[in-house]
Amino acid sequence: MLEQILCIDDDPITLMLCKKVISKSEFSNEIITAQNGEEALLHFNTLKYTNNKNKVSKKPELIFLDLNMPVMGGWEFLDHFTSGDYTEFSNAASVIVLSSTIDPDDLAKAKKYPIIIDFLSKPITLPMLEYLKKKIDI
Amino acid sequence: MKSKTLQITLIYIIISLFMTIICHKLLTIYFSPTENYNLFLAKDIFFILATGLVFKYILSKNEVKNKSVFEKLKQTNEEIKESNEKYDIVAKATSDTIWDWKIQEDSISWNRGIEGIFGYNQEDVGKTSKWWFDKIHPEDSIRMSIKLYSFIEQKTEKWQDQYRFRCADGTYKYVLDRGFLLKDEKGRAIRMIGAIQDITKQKEEEQRLKLLETVITQSKDSILITEANSVARRIPKIVYVNPAFSQMSGYQSNEIIGKSPNIFKGPKSDSEELKKLLRAIKNEEECLIETISYTKQKEEFWVRFSMIPIFNNEGVISHWISIQRDITDEKKLETEKEHLIRELTQNNKDLKQFSYITSHNLRAPLSNLIGLLNLIEDIPVENTELEEIIAGFTKSTHLLNETINDLVKVIIIKDNPSMQKEEVSLQEVFENVFSQLSFQIELHKPIIKLKFDRVPLLNTNKAYIESILLNLLTNSIKYKSENRKLKISIMAEQIDHKAILTFKDNGIGIDLERNRDKVFGLYQRFHNYPDSKGLGLYLVKSQVETMGGTISIESEVNKGTTFTITFKN
Repeated sequence: MLEQILCIDDDPITLMLCKKVISKSEFSNEIITAQNGEEALLHFNTLKYTNNKNKVSKKPELIFLDLNMPVMGGWEFLDHFTSGDYTEFSNAASVIVLSSTIDPDDLAKAKKYPIIIDFLSKPITLPMLEYLKKKIDI
Repeated sequence: MKSKTLQITLIYIIISLFMTIICHKLLTIYFSPTENYNLFLAKDIFFILATGLVFKYILSKNEVKNKSVFEKLKQTNEEIKESNEKYDIVAKATSDTIWDWKIQEDSISWNRGIEGIFGYNQEDVGKTSKWWFDKIHPEDSIRMSIKLYSFIEQKTEKWQDQYRFRCADGTYKYVLDRGFLLKDEKGRAIRMIGAIQDITKQKEEEQRLKLLETVITQSKDSILITEANSVARRIPKIVYVNPAFSQMSGYQSNEIIGKSPNIFKGPKSDSEELKKLLRAIKNEEECLIETISYTKQKEEFWVRFSMIPIFNNEGVISHWISIQRDITDEKKLETEKEHLIRELTQNNKDLKQFSYITSHNLRAPLSNLIGLLNLIEDIPVENTELEEIIAGFTKSTHLLNETINDLVKVIIIKDNPSMQKEEVSLQEVFENVFSQLSFQIELHKPIIKLKFDRVPLLNTNKAYIESILLNLLTNSIKYKSENRKLKISIMAEQIDHKAILTFKDNGIGIDLERNRDKVFGLYQRFHNYPDSKGLGLYLVKSQVETMGGTISIESEVNKGTTFTITFKN
């Protein structure tokens, strides 16, 4: 079981589903969410600058990422996340794109990011999580 | 000669003396000798000697005269001989055919040229002028004889004429005939001598050149010829323009000859193209440019302008030939076409993007619905009515999801004109397809006949060919006849560079008379079966065509259906 995972999606129902399905499958102890890329980055910023004072906070081990989001989309988030500022988090985490897109360009683009380990179609389901468990070996 | 005169004189004297002595002897025998006998004899002898002397004188005079006449005669003879020899040599040496016509007697003679050039044997050659006239081409003979007789009647000064002369083999040669008259003391024409020159080659060349010239004069393309050398980085001066050029540019040839084609340049001309042209001229290379040019009236037009250097035998450039075409209309069309293509490409791109966004926006809430329904599954429902409602809800949601997924499939196929192809083993493809359909195959146990050893490998997209065969096989099973056992035969053949796949069943068939144009349409259904969506054949056709293939159908109601798929292979 993973310690913590992060779901980034602008759709509250998707987030709710993620929480429910993940908690059912005992995939992770803790699920945190963000409404878009920027909010996720803010979260990482907070982690970064509060780390020293308090006890070591948990870093998300897996990120479920939507692509089409307002304010900051999935691709933009990834560009920031994998750039120098967040390496301590990006090195610790894998990303799974969870989207309803069918644009082949998105699929092709996903292959260019080594941090993306899979590209899955919504909705998140129990069999999907079972498959992921096997894949990342937990 | 001298001795001969003397000889004759001496013989005369001797005979005379002899005669005199005999006469005197006879006289003395028959008549009584007179005392004057000796005197008479002496007188006779004196006479004889005197006449002998006179005789000799006359003879020698005559001799001198004769001699000079003889000398003259000899000289004349020699001259004639030499002249004859010269004539013979010239007649032999010249390639001309020489004729000699005695007009009064109408007798004509020919030199060897008549044989050498026209192929007539000496014995075939007629002796009169009629033979000559007969050989002249009918179209030329009247004109020729009018000119000839007016010359003989001395109405004209000179005579030369061109006409066609028939050879022994029946063909005609163009000849140039030149002649002169010999007149008698009264000034009448008695003899005419002429020389015929074979000008067939020149004439043919002339006609060929005339024909070639028509290419230039009749051409719809403008043609101009310029000098070899340019002055001060200008295009060389024009020496010739054809009528089409005047038509295009508005300049008459006399206005433009001697000027440089630079005068067609104007504010909108493409200076880069002109530079390219000048560079080519400097390097003596041919060149093709397109630019806006200006007519005499300063109207602009698009011209495609070529310059080709012409080199002489020494490899030195002698002229430039330029061919020009007004391509204003072409350019206009091209621009319109480009504009249209740009617009279409943009529209297409927009539509594609729109379809992605729409499908995404439809799929997002739908996937939520499915996710939520998945969660409900685990919650026990007490209320039976609610359970029923949830069941209906679940069914509709999944149906909606399927439809959207199908549409997405179509969009992706349509958007993927250049998908990956690989060498695919048909055997393997069928194994995959059968394993996916194993449940149905187990259920209905169709007789399936496969024959594709002729095409073991097919260069195609694996996913597509699987999808195609899966759809066709599913259809065959779905639309099988209830009255007979389902038989399916699948055959692959290779013909030239084409692989032909024939897929045949004995199912219920489709009424093609009513539905031929709809068979492969989207959401076209021909049987009211609950799980028929009208998508399968549409997908099949899309996939076949995306891979550059074709598909056709033959079907008869209650007999069966045959699909023929052709791929390049």
